[in-house]
Amino acid sequence: MNDRITCEDVSKFYGEILGVNRVNLSIPPGITSLVGPNGSGKTTLMNLLTGLVRPTRGQVRVLGYTTTDPEHLFTIVGYSTQFDAFPKGLTGFQFIYSYLRLAGRDARSAEQLAWQAIERVNLTEAATRNIAGYSKGMRQRIRLAQALSHDPKVLVLDEPLNGLDPLARSEMIALFREAAAQGCYVIISSHILHEVDVISDQVILLSNGYVVAEGPIRSVRSEIQEHPTQILIRCDKPRELAAKMLEDAHTIEVAIHKDERGLLVKTRDADKFYLTMNQIALNGVEIESVVPADDDVLSVYGYLIGNEEVVR
Amino acid sequence: MMSVWWPQVKAVIRLELKKTFLAKRGLWIYLVAALPVLLFIAYAVVTSTQQNRSANVARRTEKQLTYQDLLAVKAGMAKEEVVRILGKPSLRFHWAENRPRGPLTTLNILHEQYRYSDGQNDLYVEVVDGRVEAVHIHEGYNLGQDSIVFAGVFQFFFLRLAVFFGCLGIFMNLFRGEILDRSLHFYFLAPIRREVLMAGKFLAGLMATCAIFVTSTVLQTIAFVWHFPPIVRDVYLYHNHGLEHAAVYVGVTVLACVGYGAFFLVAGMLFRNPILPAAAILIWESVNPFLPAVLKQFSVIYYLKSLCPVEIPSAPGTPPLLALLISNPDPVSAPVAVLGVLIVALVALYVSGVQVRRMEINYTSE
Repeated sequence: MNDRITCEDVSKFYGEILGVNRVNLSIPPGITSLVGPNGSGKTTLMNLLTGLVRPTRGQVRVLGYTTTDPEHLFTIVGYSTQFDAFPKGLTGFQFIYSYLRLAGRDARSAEQLAWQAIERVNLTEAATRNIAGYSKGMRQRIRLAQALSHDPKVLVLDEPLNGLDPLARSEMIALFREAAAQGCYVIISSHILHEVDVISDQVILLSNGYVVAEGPIRSVRSEIQEHPTQILIRCDKPRELAAKMLEDAHTIEVAIHKDERGLLVKTRDADKFYLTMNQIALNGVEIESVVPADDDVLSVYGYLIGNEEVVR
Repeated sequence: MMSVWWPQVKAVIRLELKKTFLAKRGLWIYLVAALPVLLFIAYAVVTSTQQNRSANVARRTEKQLTYQDLLAVKAGMAKEEVVRILGKPSLRFHWAENRPRGPLTTLNILHEQYRYSDGQNDLYVEVVDGRVEAVHIHEGYNLGQDSIVFAGVFQFFFLRLAVFFGCLGIFMNLFRGEILDRSLHFYFLAPIRREVLMAGKFLAGLMATCAIFVTSTVLQTIAFVWHFPPIVRDVYLYHNHGLEHAAVYVGVTVLACVGYGAFFLVAGMLFRNPILPAAAILIWESVNPFLPAVLKQFSVIYYLKSLCPVEIPSAPGTPPLLALLISNPDPVSAPVAVLGVLIVALVALYVSGVQVRRMEINYTSE
């Protein structure tokens, strides 16, 4: 599986403390978000994927490379860590330039790539200033520039949107999407669930060191059987529709929306419910929209992990 | 692979040197390296002042004296005889002593002190009542003696303390310092083989320590020979192995940096607290003379002592244990000594290589 990032039965213990346990993953290209509360193992998993820590058990492979081989691994991997420390006395440009020289690039190409990366994160003006004088957001961006600088196939980004203002956030999200569109594997950890929801192709939900769920968010949601699917229907006659809905065997609960222009339906079988909906629509009720109300990361997170530490 | 590794090593060296040279937390290393230089400069200044004074005394003496003339004066001579041999003294101090001889009488005794000089060595003649009672010769310089002093300072202060602790300060921090600063991941995120990173850091440390301590050795040598008259200096440097000795001292300094550097590099990876391994290595190096022959070989100082060009004689009456510390009863030949340090360093570097491959970034546990 040289086209995937894989973890095979990976566990990591720090002494007696569990980092992650029995993780089995196969990550395809696109944007994959690691979601979970603090201490759930997101950073440990990212460090395992990049070889900064070694698994106590199991094996990690990144597009066929083992993580014990940094010489080759980091030719295809760029990692923006959460560690907020830099080698002393370097300017933003020197930080990226030194990294590229360490990667074996000659002076000219290192300089060129460093400026390109700095431009991509909009830090050109501050590039010649010492990093020690950077704001949190600028330090975040220069770390992103380092991860991007050698144009890696795999981008591992630990809380990459932390400390960024809304404009910078949207710029960075666009950057990640662009990378994913070009076939990159972008792995992001984030607490900000609505952003995760917007940008992710697939999610990995972690809790207490275990992978609780993984895959595209809708397929993850459909696998959660114990929580009925919630569907928001916008229509002109919600009460009439509610009465018809309650006749359907798959409907568990119906609630009229506060504005009296819609209703929230809970059903055990969404597919059969949609078939019923079609028949109702054909019988004269004007339906404006039918939207799943709980197949986003926030809801899935709430169902599987609980609502603690969720940032909306 | 070398075509990739060498540019990477150079990149590591550039970054490390930028951090190491004139870093605030390393300023004490410059001070330690400067101490013996300051010592020899002070010694040279004092000796030069004394030589100027001797030259003044010699100029004012009636005759042009030689060292042999000064040696000709013995206790018991009449002062006239002294004046006949050496001429009128250029400096003469005298005072009278009234020594009681009975209840009402005193004996008037004249004390005189003559000072002569041949321009370098001073002769002090104590004359009591017209007879020489004592003579003291103060030698202006003694190259042989000074060489031994230099060797003593080099071996017991410079090598065992200055270079030792300087290497500790630099090499231990190559990895440990970055773990404490939480910036080691910067290197670990680059597509660079960990052993290559380790080699680059070691070479950077070696360049820094060599620049600091070789400069110190050279300055010590300059300060050491500076106060000698030019002719003596030339004879010492060009005809009496002086330059050769200086080159050997520089070489020993470099080897000390290699040996201790490799030791402290691995210690910095294995231990969180540098005090414990430093104390252990210091004790190990100090007890080296008392160790069995096999164990002696796993020490840096054992080989360095064998390479030092001037043997330090132990003074008569020195306790046997101390004499054992000073002397080197079973020195090895120069090639074996050089090879010995290099092998010890290579073993330490091999362990560092294994260790660096296993290293993980886990700052919270530090």
